[in-house]
Amino acid sequence: MEPKASQALRSLLANKGIQKAVRIDLRFSGCCDSSLSLYLDDISESDLTCELDGLKFVIAPEIYQLAGQVSISYVDEPGKKGFVLRPSKTVGEWDGFGVCDLARRAEPGV
Amino acid sequence: MEHYKLFINGEFVEAEDGREFEVIDPGTEAPIATVAQAGKADAEKAIAAARKAFDRGDWSGLTPAERAAKVQDFADQVKRQGLRLALTESMNTGQVISLAGYMPLLCVGFLRNLSLAAVTKFPWEEEIPASGNAFAPGRDFIRREPVGVCVGIVPWNYPMYIAIWKIAPALLAGNTMVLKPASYTPLSALILAEAAKAAGIPDGVFNVIAGPGGELGEILCTHPDVDRVAFTGSTVVGREVMRMAATTVKKVTLELGGKSANIILDDADMDLAVEGALFGSFFHQGQVCSSGSRVLVSSKIYDEFLDKLVKRAESIRVGYQLDQTSHMGPLISKQQLATVERYVELGKAEGAELVTGGRRVEVKGIKGGFYFAPTIFARVDNKMRIAQEEIFGPVLCMIKYDDDEEAIAIANDTMYGLAGGVFSSNTARAERVARAIRTGTMWVNNYHIFSDYCPFGGYKQSGVGREFGLESLREYTQVKRIHVPAMADHKSNLTFKIMSDDKKIAGFSYNCPTAVVAGHGALSSIYKWVVDLGCRRALILTDPGVNKAGLAQLVKNALVDFCVGIYDNISSDPDLGTVDAATEAARDLRADCVVSVGGGSVIDVGKGVCVTLKNGGRMNDYLNFLVLTEPQTPHIAIPTTAGTGSEVTNIAVFTSAGAGRKLFIVDNRIAPNVAILDPRFTITLPRDLTVSTAMDAMTHAVEAMMSILSNQICDGLALHAIRLIKENLPIVVADGRNEKARLNMQLAATMAGWAFTMAQVGLAHGMAHTLGTELHIPHGAACGIVLPKVMRYNVDHATDKLALVAQALGVNTAGMKQRDAALAAADAVEALMKEVGHPMRLRDVGVSEDSLPVYALHALGDTAVIFNARLVTNPNDILELYKQAY
Repeated sequence: MEPKASQALRSLLANKGIQKAVRIDLRFSGCCDSSLSLYLDDISESDLTCELDGLKFVIAPEIYQLAGQVSISYVDEPGKKGFVLRPSKTVGEWDGFGVCDLARRAEPGV
Repeated sequence: MEHYKLFINGEFVEAEDGREFEVIDPGTEAPIATVAQAGKADAEKAIAAARKAFDRGDWSGLTPAERAAKVQDFADQVKRQGLRLALTESMNTGQVISLAGYMPLLCVGFLRNLSLAAVTKFPWEEEIPASGNAFAPGRDFIRREPVGVCVGIVPWNYPMYIAIWKIAPALLAGNTMVLKPASYTPLSALILAEAAKAAGIPDGVFNVIAGPGGELGEILCTHPDVDRVAFTGSTVVGREVMRMAATTVKKVTLELGGKSANIILDDADMDLAVEGALFGSFFHQGQVCSSGSRVLVSSKIYDEFLDKLVKRAESIRVGYQLDQTSHMGPLISKQQLATVERYVELGKAEGAELVTGGRRVEVKGIKGGFYFAPTIFARVDNKMRIAQEEIFGPVLCMIKYDDDEEAIAIANDTMYGLAGGVFSSNTARAERVARAIRTGTMWVNNYHIFSDYCPFGGYKQSGVGREFGLESLREYTQVKRIHVPAMADHKSNLTFKIMSDDKKIAGFSYNCPTAVVAGHGALSSIYKWVVDLGCRRALILTDPGVNKAGLAQLVKNALVDFCVGIYDNISSDPDLGTVDAATEAARDLRADCVVSVGGGSVIDVGKGVCVTLKNGGRMNDYLNFLVLTEPQTPHIAIPTTAGTGSEVTNIAVFTSAGAGRKLFIVDNRIAPNVAILDPRFTITLPRDLTVSTAMDAMTHAVEAMMSILSNQICDGLALHAIRLIKENLPIVVADGRNEKARLNMQLAATMAGWAFTMAQVGLAHGMAHTLGTELHIPHGAACGIVLPKVMRYNVDHATDKLALVAQALGVNTAGMKQRDAALAAADAVEALMKEVGHPMRLRDVGVSEDSLPVYALHALGDTAVIFNARLVTNPNDILELYKQAY
């Protein structure tokens, strides 16, 4: 995880006032490619967990098997602001091209 | 195993760095081909080839018909490859063969249908008969030209078909293309490349590079030599494509995701609706952007519908895609399988009820493959993520609603707007609902119907632009407007004059089409004129006074059986409603000709009726300058005053309550076809009206001469009009029954009318219009009072013209300095006014001094002021003139 990403996540969590883990999960956003995204979620028994810079990350084993290690960076440019997730294994051919924000797992969002 | 190469500049080549990737059959997970993997260098080469091919002009420079012929050759080659394409597509994408088998047919059909439309229907050039700018006459037309180098990025669900959606309009419009198919499914695009080469599409016009979007996307979307990007894919990626393309302002089409609602109304044919919902959600394993994956079902039929739908879904055969008995094949990849599974878990966690499916399927005899059962969630709340986010798999969410309004609200409660359906046995009801859904396509009692001439694309975050049909050709062209002025002379260019101190316009156009019949008994000619104009049903428009005087009856008698009625509900200073009411009367009587008998007000109403009778709507729709492009309803004008000249002019004036002032329609096509000047019609004109209307004519003539548009023809007409008024007005004032003098006054008014039709009027009319609107002062009277003041105000800007006016008014200017002669013209006008008893001051006609400042502001905004000899920009100048006239 890049320092900027860590800082952005911590800031978002503080703003939302939520004490939950950050889940890396699949998300679909339309016609032909799923991608990885970040959600605030509870930890399930079967989840794989990891703590980085004081933040708890979780991922379902089947997603980890699919995506492998995931690097998280953050961009803040005109017209493009959010987290960029790059899996070590290909999830979709557009991996790393778009950005995502941090949503609650129960909230829809793209 | 077959190996596919990239197609760049007419050749099949390996990637520059030698990389390749494998493509698998999702039904077996077995590799079926290797493909050269393009990197940035290959993308650069492809873009360069496309750029060179475009600039070379041997494709973009062909006529549309020539390009269409080549595209038809391409269609023939695609047809030849049909079986190979169908089988390859099925193996590569997981499309069941009963679907993939249609794909080549659909592709060939689209290529041929769009070629035909490009040649026979698409407006490559369009004439603009009325430009909408009355100040810059000339020829205006548009050409539709190719955009340039177009990038097409195609997804994996219908790679061949969606490639053709982009290739066909791009090439037919004269563009060149770089196509990037999805990395899962590049094979059909590369076979299409073979077909393009075999068809003789010139090198570089069509290029195909296969490689990961994450690596190629940036260069394809930002390269300065790319002019347009058409992307079909996810909203997340689409946003980034648009952002990148924006840095060089590329044209962009995006076809993104959807979460379309398939609405089952309570009166739907149940079996049809079940099949429609099934097809809408599970066709091609739900991997369709337009899937009706939210099925909204009326609470009245919910349970019965759900029961039937579940039974039907459980009868779907999931199997290997090349098995002809399979209804559904595999999902495209293990990643897509994992995504669908995650959403099923999410749906359960959100509290939706999984009623069937939700699991992988093992296909007998097949090892591996990404098969998933048709899945239905019931009791879904539209706020759930499974209802808001596109899953792109065979997962259907059933949502209950109580009434049509609630269904509409639920359907629209999504960030997407791509497609949708309504099932009902009542077409009117279904269409009412369809119209209320904010989405690009609505199917009624059907689903997933794509048609070559029917545009497809999204509202909201489902995308930008349209594919298919003439709309797609528009997307791949850009519009160039070409203007050639009527007069190529800077001295005749009204808009250039803004930056010049010399406001006088040198050139002019003489367009006064009215036929004039003048003399005692001229009325008799109307009988032939009606026939010559092709009419049989003439409506007489007049005012109550003229009607009461028996003049309308004279005309009726002259028309014999051609007269269908007399309409006399017209007052002076008519408003827009007066025209509309008269038009309604004309429609009721099925009039095909208007005969206006009266003063300027009646004739102006006649002009308005001719326009609205011909074109429909209300008079308020036509208050424009020079926009009519066809002859209007025929109009014969018989003036009963000698003033406005409306019988020959191209202008009609109406009071607008909305604007709080007089507004105009100006158009050569509203000049009456015929003007009948029969002096018998002015014999009974009362003295004060004779005088005030004469001053209107005088003001027309003098202002036309002073106008920045004045010219030799207008001057000739104006000067003779002035002479006639000077000589004959005192005669008719003394003896109203002098026919010769009355005719001369009519001719003066007509000639003055022609003069100002060419040259316009000026400040005096601007001031008079304001007084007419605000205080209903007779137009001629207001004109007469302010005219001499305006003449003096303009003296240094129309000195030569005013000196001629003085002569026409009988002033002996021999030996006078020109400026003095010009000033003498104003004096002569005042002398004439005194002689005939015309009011000399504004206070004499009821104007209040306190209101003059407001009137000055209004007058400055009058269009007529634009043409005044002296530039008027300061309302205080006008106020001073009003005070002088007060």
